Amino acid sequence: MEPVIETFESRKKHMCVKGEGLSIPVCDKASLPGTVTQRTCVFGGARIVLMPITDSIHLVHGPIGCAACTWDIRGSKSSREELYKKGCSTDLQEKDIVFGGEKKLFETVLELYNIYKPGAIFVYATCVSGVIGDDIKAVCKKSEDLTGCRVIPVQSEGFQDHNKTKGHWIGGDALLDYVIGTKEPEETTPFDINIVGEFNVAGDLWGIKPLLEEMGVNIISTISGDSHADEIAQAHRAKLNIVQCQKSSNYVARKMEKKYGIPFIKVNFFGLEQTTNSLREIADFFGDEEMIDRTEKIIERELMGVEDETQEYRERLEGKTVALYVGGNKAWSLVRAFEEVGMDVMMSGTKNGIKEDYERIKETVRDGTIIVDDANSTELARLLKKYKPNLLISGAKEKYISLKLGIPFCDFNHDRISAFAGFKGFVSFAKEVDASVSSPVFNLASKTLSKVSKTPKVGGDENAS
Amino acid sequence: MHHDKKFAVVNPSKMCQPMGAVQALLGVKNTMPLIHGSQGCSTYMRFQLIRHFREPIEVASTSMNEKTVIYGGEFNLMKALKNITEKQSPDMIVVTSSCLTETIGDDMAGIIEKFKDANLDNELPVIIPVSTPSYVESHVEGYNRTIKALVEHLATPSVPNGKINIITGNISPADCKQVKDLLYQLNCDSIILTDTSENLDAPLTEETLSLYNEGTSIEEIEDTANSLGTISLSKHVDSAAIFLEKKFGVKSISGPLPLGFENTDQFVTSVCELGDLEIPESVEKDRGRLLDAMVDAHSYNFHRKVAIFGDPDFVSGMTRFTSELGMIPSVVCTGTESERFTEDVKLISKEKGINPVILAGGDLFDMHQAIKKAGADILIGNAYGASTAKEENIPLLRVGFPIFDRLGAQRISVLGYKGSIEFVDKITNTLLDFYYDEAGYEIVDEKTEEILREEGDEGFEEDFMSKEEI
Repeated sequence: MEPVIETFESRKKHMCVKGEGLSIPVCDKASLPGTVTQRTCVFGGARIVLMPITDSIHLVHGPIGCAACTWDIRGSKSSREELYKKGCSTDLQEKDIVFGGEKKLFETVLELYNIYKPGAIFVYATCVSGVIGDDIKAVCKKSEDLTGCRVIPVQSEGFQDHNKTKGHWIGGDALLDYVIGTKEPEETTPFDINIVGEFNVAGDLWGIKPLLEEMGVNIISTISGDSHADEIAQAHRAKLNIVQCQKSSNYVARKMEKKYGIPFIKVNFFGLEQTTNSLREIADFFGDEEMIDRTEKIIERELMGVEDETQEYRERLEGKTVALYVGGNKAWSLVRAFEEVGMDVMMSGTKNGIKEDYERIKETVRDGTIIVDDANSTELARLLKKYKPNLLISGAKEKYISLKLGIPFCDFNHDRISAFAGFKGFVSFAKEVDASVSSPVFNLASKTLSKVSKTPKVGGDENAS
Repeated sequence: MHHDKKFAVVNPSKMCQPMGAVQALLGVKNTMPLIHGSQGCSTYMRFQLIRHFREPIEVASTSMNEKTVIYGGEFNLMKALKNITEKQSPDMIVVTSSCLTETIGDDMAGIIEKFKDANLDNELPVIIPVSTPSYVESHVEGYNRTIKALVEHLATPSVPNGKINIITGNISPADCKQVKDLLYQLNCDSIILTDTSENLDAPLTEETLSLYNEGTSIEEIEDTANSLGTISLSKHVDSAAIFLEKKFGVKSISGPLPLGFENTDQFVTSVCELGDLEIPESVEKDRGRLLDAMVDAHSYNFHRKVAIFGDPDFVSGMTRFTSELGMIPSVVCTGTESERFTEDVKLISKEKGINPVILAGGDLFDMHQAIKKAGADILIGNAYGASTAKEENIPLLRVGFPIFDRLGAQRISVLGYKGSIEFVDKITNTLLDFYYDEAGYEIVDEKTEEILREEGDEGFEEDFMSKEEI
């Protein structure tokens, strides 16, 4: 069989086409040393699932670089505190590496507590704090006893694994071990839920929350978008967990099911059909007739108008192709939404997918779709050049690879500019996709002036004038 | 509310050494930077660089993991060198260490030798190791060590070339171009260490997706031993120049960054002395245009308080330039601990009659506290200053790295007479936008006026009382 693209022999099996043979690429392997990997480290994985807790200080115990390149990058919005945006570090120096950094960590925690009186202080281990053997658990315990503030160790040494998914789990463990179940809610209702794996990027949560509240469910906590540590502490009293990012957060939901008997359902608020199904599933779970009625009315009301509002975009997007190369969850959760605006998902891939993620992708995409695991920058460029999608959905690091090839791009990661979740989010989604795919700048394709007179416009959109 | 803060860093104003190394290597032709460490290091640094320059940036990683940490990084480093050599065929691979591989004690030079021995039959790129432990100093030192390593490994004496070496330090591609243009005007042949002007502000072509085919070449770096002299625009990155002076007698001049009127004069003087060159009419004219711009703008800038943060030589240069404009630097902050910086600013302060709060090794929290006390009408620095500026209700003039919330960071220019002219216009227009109305009148803030009046009243009372006493 012809390989999807030319690359290292060992990497060829990381790409496949659905319908041919196995349909699941080799995955969850260490990136080849010497390639420009698009992956990050375990620390990064833990930091992004916890960083949206807004009333907390996120303290990186390591040399300055680990904090300096990762503070305030989540694109996660807050309706209350801004503390989570601060870039805090113990700034380990050579003498700390030699003599240990525990004392410095302890003093730093106390200082930050005194300055900010935060809801919690999360202390992240890094490569070096791990190698020198700092006992951050002990320091956290000691400073928590002294201050009465939650001081939570996150054992996220960067080198632990090739896959940042492990970081997501470690972040989840920090919540499970030190936060969830440490406070009782003042009141409970029969309809208490947690929204798990929703990080409020660009304000996504705010497209969902009002719908859920109108249905009549009571949201105890969001893990972790726009949340307070104190709210997550009460999460164990929920009757149901709904999981949006199933890449990062199935882990937490499964563990909560085991520990507290809270069932969970997987939801997806990207796209109309998915949003509708998700709301119905939640209402069906509670089985309350009034809630089911209310939910149907909400769906009917919200769907009205969306068609009109998106028609112009759909006309321009019809038949265009899109390639997804994302962290994990969006590789399947966005597929239907793109189909709803008339686009064809021709490639879907992730940087950190594990087998269950690729099962999901395989179930979701049509036959003939290219499925890609951990493509490095060279491979991504080759994929784009060979298969020429009309749009790439990916993150900041991939953006200019795509644009330099003249392929429109949308950032669906931390740097997204509008909320896409829920019904109203779908309109923004269609609008933003259209703004990239239909922009005339991509039709000015003649790249040298000397060729302009000889060659007519190439690669142009037939609607473009 | 003020709190003592001795240990915590809150909102850093520096990055780690490997970042400086990568910044230096982005101006070298057909070269792959390779970070020997966890994959997060290269990925997060690329993330910062990409969102600043809005260009694809290639930095390879040895992708260390738990097993290789326990047994040492030799296997991964060897494998990485092999993969890069085979797939990218670069002229050079520069391997920089990280906190992880420094701590576990990997002998990079030894591993590289081993790799070379194992590949005696193959044509290999030049491979240079640089020790850049992330827990020592800052990105500025990483930049410094990298240029020094390049020169140490490559500089080879042959015949005098009549050129001047310029070590730029971490400046924008546009500023690199300004410096090159100025040297061209002066008729000065030069070797730029390193030349980012084309690589980091590239046209829309897919060629930018491979390793750079522009920038400083290996041959040029070899030739640095034969130059008339080396000028390090930033004093903090002059180790390579000092090396060249000691080993090959190539005269070294450290700084200042040609930012503003006096510093650019000094740079031009240094170049002309080293190269025995005449100052051409066109340079005199640009100099005159800068003076003209400064005079045109003087009344808007006079006694405006300014806070400045960024890399040490940028901050000291900007302290002098804003003083030349009649502004009052009130807080000057660099994340890098440096006595040289403090001395420089003290000297400028004495000369200009200013008394700024000097923060060397400070973070943006410290800077914000200092601004609250000392006051500032405008803040100059990178995008991380935005929240401070917003809280203090002052404009942020974005210069430096990183700038990810505005477009065109690669085209911001402040160096040489021409870059300085751009800066004068920009800072003055920013003040006009913020403090003046559409008709050009200064907006008088009601609250401020009230305070002034109250203060005035108290003053009157005192006067009155003293008169009564009489």
